[in-house]
Formats: sequence, structure tokens, C-alpha cells
Amino acid sequence: MSTAIEVRGLTMSYAGREVLKGVDFQVRSGEVFCLLGPNGAGKTTTVEILEGFRQRTGGTVSVLGMDPQAQPARLRERIGIVLQECGFPRQARVAELVDSWRGYYRSPRDLDDLLEVVELTQDRSVQVRRLSGGQRRRLDLALALAGDPDLIFLDEPTTGFDPESRRRCWAAIENLRALGKTIVLTTHYLDEAERLADRVAILQGGRIQIVGSVRHVARQAGVKTRIKFTAPQQVLDGSLPPPECLDLVMDGGLAVCQAEHSGPALRELLTWAAANDLGDLDDLSVETPTLEDAYLRLVTGDAA
Amino acid sequence: MSRTVTLAFRQALLEQRSFWRSAEYALFTFALPLALLLLIGSTTATGYLPGTHVEGQMIFVPSIIAFGVIVAAYVNLGAKLATLRHDGVLKRIRTTPLPASAYLSGVLGSTAATTLAITACIMTIGALAFGAVPRVSGLPEITGGLVLGVVCFGALGLALSAVAGSAESAAPIANASYLPLAIMSGIFDPTFPVPHWLSAAVGLFPVRALAQILAHGYTPVAHAPATDLLVLLAWTAAACAFTAWRFRWH
Repeated sequence: MSTAIEVRGLTMSYAGREVLKGVDFQVRSGEVFCLLGPNGAGKTTTVEILEGFRQRTGGTVSVLGMDPQAQPARLRERIGIVLQECGFPRQARVAELVDSWRGYYRSPRDLDDLLEVVELTQDRSVQVRRLSGGQRRRLDLALALAGDPDLIFLDEPTTGFDPESRRRCWAAIENLRALGKTIVLTTHYLDEAERLADRVAILQGGRIQIVGSVRHVARQAGVKTRIKFTAPQQVLDGSLPPPECLDLVMDGGLAVCQAEHSGPALRELLTWAAANDLGDLDDLSVETPTLEDAYLRLVTGDAA
Repeated sequence: MSRTVTLAFRQALLEQRSFWRSAEYALFTFALPLALLLLIGSTTATGYLPGTHVEGQMIFVPSIIAFGVIVAAYVNLGAKLATLRHDGVLKRIRTTPLPASAYLSGVLGSTAATTLAITACIMTIGALAFGAVPRVSGLPEITGGLVLGVVCFGALGLALSAVAGSAESAAPIANASYLPLAIMSGIFDPTFPVPHWLSAAVGLFPVRALAQILAHGYTPVAHAPATDLLVLLAWTAAACAFTAWRFRWH
């Protein structure tokens, strides 16, 4: 698989303050790559350097084989950028605006096709100022796609969305991936990253702390799988000791067990249940670590 | 290069379409200079100016043309760009491959078209209602003055949008900067009395300079507009330099 973005030893200083202290990562062609990190970690700076809006202090950056600060104009022919909170010209209508944006690119995407992808076909002649918040964000996306880019930067695409609009935006992003586009996503919503991203990178203190698939990140963070079930009466009143090799904790009427590997732990648990005539454990559930668990552990040192 | 020109031209068309579509905005952009033209023309400034052989309308019609240029190129353009910046439209345009030069020339081109339309209205009304017709040999002054006026005040409009901290402050800043100058420059009343030192100071600004160049196209008043030309060129250069230094897309 080829590489869409390659960042090596990227540093950035503002007035003597080092914001990026040597950032390294790769984005593969056709994947959804999510950059996470607390506010002030340098996410925006990193993305703006990739987009060619900021001159880096040091390191090498290659985006679609180009150096963004050397050829920003050529690069912009092939990337699409969805910015947060950008307005539209006040008098414009939807299709008209998208069409004028197409005029800025050498090989634009078909107009009807663009409206279709973002589900604005019905609203093509609506005045932009009459659109709802969700529709406006989808128009944002249509404008970013006008040049039929190979690489798309999405900055907080669903901030302020209701659940329905969020789902539609996610569906649009998944459509883009299906079309083979590479997507770089920054977001505050960890469930969004978990749902959409092929790989995530956590940027903190000016460095990439970890990069990889959501599963990989969770494993590296040392977050354990949680197995829960309704605690049997015998365990609650102390007449039956819990299995020794498992770290079982009572949380009200719930027994919670944390395990590195869920398979052996489950086998152990069910063997113990069968041996003690507990049948199938009630409400048995296995919670694999979420990205949120891993993130909180890595970023705040919180043992979630 | 030719692609930049095509893009600039297309942008100018887009800007024109949006200008004429906001009917109210377009109407009042035209209404202000035309109302002043009719008002001043029908009350004071006709007949020979005191102590001269110059008819008043030969001065105030070109003065109102200059006023129209200032409103369209300086006030409107400055306020418009400040609003577009505030709304994030400029930032969004910056994410496309559209060259900055193509965008700004397109916007200026559209401003020039609007200015031309206003000027045509003023000249027509000036001729029909007040008998103010430019000299045939004054055409270089009229065309040159218009081109230079749009460029100079357009550049000042860009500079204004760079100075204005917010979309709301652009219009008050514009009005506060050009209106006193317009009054002191005798735009609304060629006989407006100003002390000698003030008149000399006002002469350093582009408002009276433009009005005098255009007036020279109507009536061969005593002096040639060489100084006025220099004043306009100097302000254009200063405004361009300031814009290059301070203009921001977001």
C-alpha cells in the first residue's frame, strides 16, 4: 500500500516555544487516519503544516509526494479541506456555490455527483443561509470535494451535530473511503474516531505518543477487557469463593473481572460456573477496551 | 498566466452576479451618489462660480463621479472584504487552488464594473439635467482618472479591510476617513470655504486629487492635474504595500 503522507522529525516553534518536538507518522493511501490529542497538543499546527498553510521549523514532510510549503498551489489541486466554522457567501444557492467552487480546480468532480455524495440533491436551489446546521456541514464537505481530491482533511466534522446528522456525516465519510480517498480526521469525539478510523495517532506534548489501529492502541495502553455478569447469590453472601486466578471485583450486584486476554478468562469463568452449578452466568457481557479507555489512560494517566 | 486571467474574469462575473442579486445593496450603492447629484444640482451649484468663468456643474458633476468611485471602490469593497473575512469565506477560498492574485483581481474587476455603471448614470444625468458634458479633449483625464481612481481606492479598500478589526467596524472607519475629506475637498460644494493651510493638507489626500483630475476632463481649469496624478499614484503604492503587509485571509 502506498503512502499518502510521510512526516519525519517534524518540529515547529513559535517565538522560541517548541510546539512540535519531532513528530513522525505515516498515512497510507486509502485509509482514514485520525489525529487525536488534548487541546494545545499541536494537532491544528500539524494539520496546517500538512495543508501548506504554515512553514515548519524542521523535519521533512511529504504530502502526495509533494512538499506542502514548496508547492502549496499544486498540492491544493489534489487535497480537500473541511475547516471548522467557515461561512458561505451570503447570496449563494447550493448548486451554484458548489459549481463556482468547481471552477477553481482543473479537473473538478461532476456537480450532480457531488450533490449526491453529500445528500444535497433535493436542496440544490436552496439559498445557503436557509440551510440547517447539518446541511451546512454537508455543503462544507461538497466544497472540499469539488476538486475531486485524493486526500481530504476533516477538522471536527461533527461538532454540534444531533445524532441523526452525525450518522449522516459518518456515512458520507465512509462513502469517501469506499471511493478510495485518503482521509485525515481530527476530532474530539473518541467514539467517532473509533467508528471511522483505520488507524489513530495520539499527539501529546509535541510528540506522537502512539500510533496504530484502535485495537493496537488499546492493547498498548494496557487497558484490560472487562467481563461482567450478575453476581450469583452464593458469591454475594460469601458461601462460594470466586475463581482464584481471576481478579473478580463486586460492584453492587455486578461481578466485574478485568483480564488481559478475554478468551482464557472466559473459559476459566465458565468452567468455574459449571463446576459450581451456576449454569450460564446471567447477563454475561464482554467489553473490549474502547478507544476512550485507552486515550484517557494514555493522555491523563487515568487508570480507567 | 492565462489561467489566472480566466479565473480572475470568472471571479469578477461571480462577484457581479452576487452584487446585482442583493437588490437592496445595489440600489443604495447607486442611490447615494445619484441622490446627492440631483440634490446639489437642483439647489446650489449651477451658474458661474464666484469670481471665475467656470460653471458650477462642470465641477460638481465630476466631483460626484469621484464620490461614486470612492463609495463603490473604497467603502463597499473594504466593508465587503471585512465581512467575507469575518464569515470565514476568505479562509475557505484560501483552501482552494485559486491564486490570491486571481481572486483579488476578480473582486477589483467587479468593483470596476460597478463603478463604471455608477459613473455612466452620473454622466448621463449630469448631461441631461445640468448640461454638464465632458470636453472631447478631456477624455484621457476622464478615462485615466476613472481607472486610476478605481485602482487607488480599490487598493485603499483592501487596506481598509486589513485595518478593520471586525466586519462591523469597517463601514464606520470608511465613513470617518473619507467623509470629512470629501467635505473639505469641496466635493459637495465647490465653494466650501477652507483655510489655506487646511486646503494644502487636503491636497495631499486622494479625494480632491481624483475630483480635480475628473473635473479637468470637463473644464480646462487653470492648473494641469500633474500633482493630483502623483498624489493618486503615491496613495496607490502605499495602499498596495500596506495590503501586502497586513492583508489576512482569516
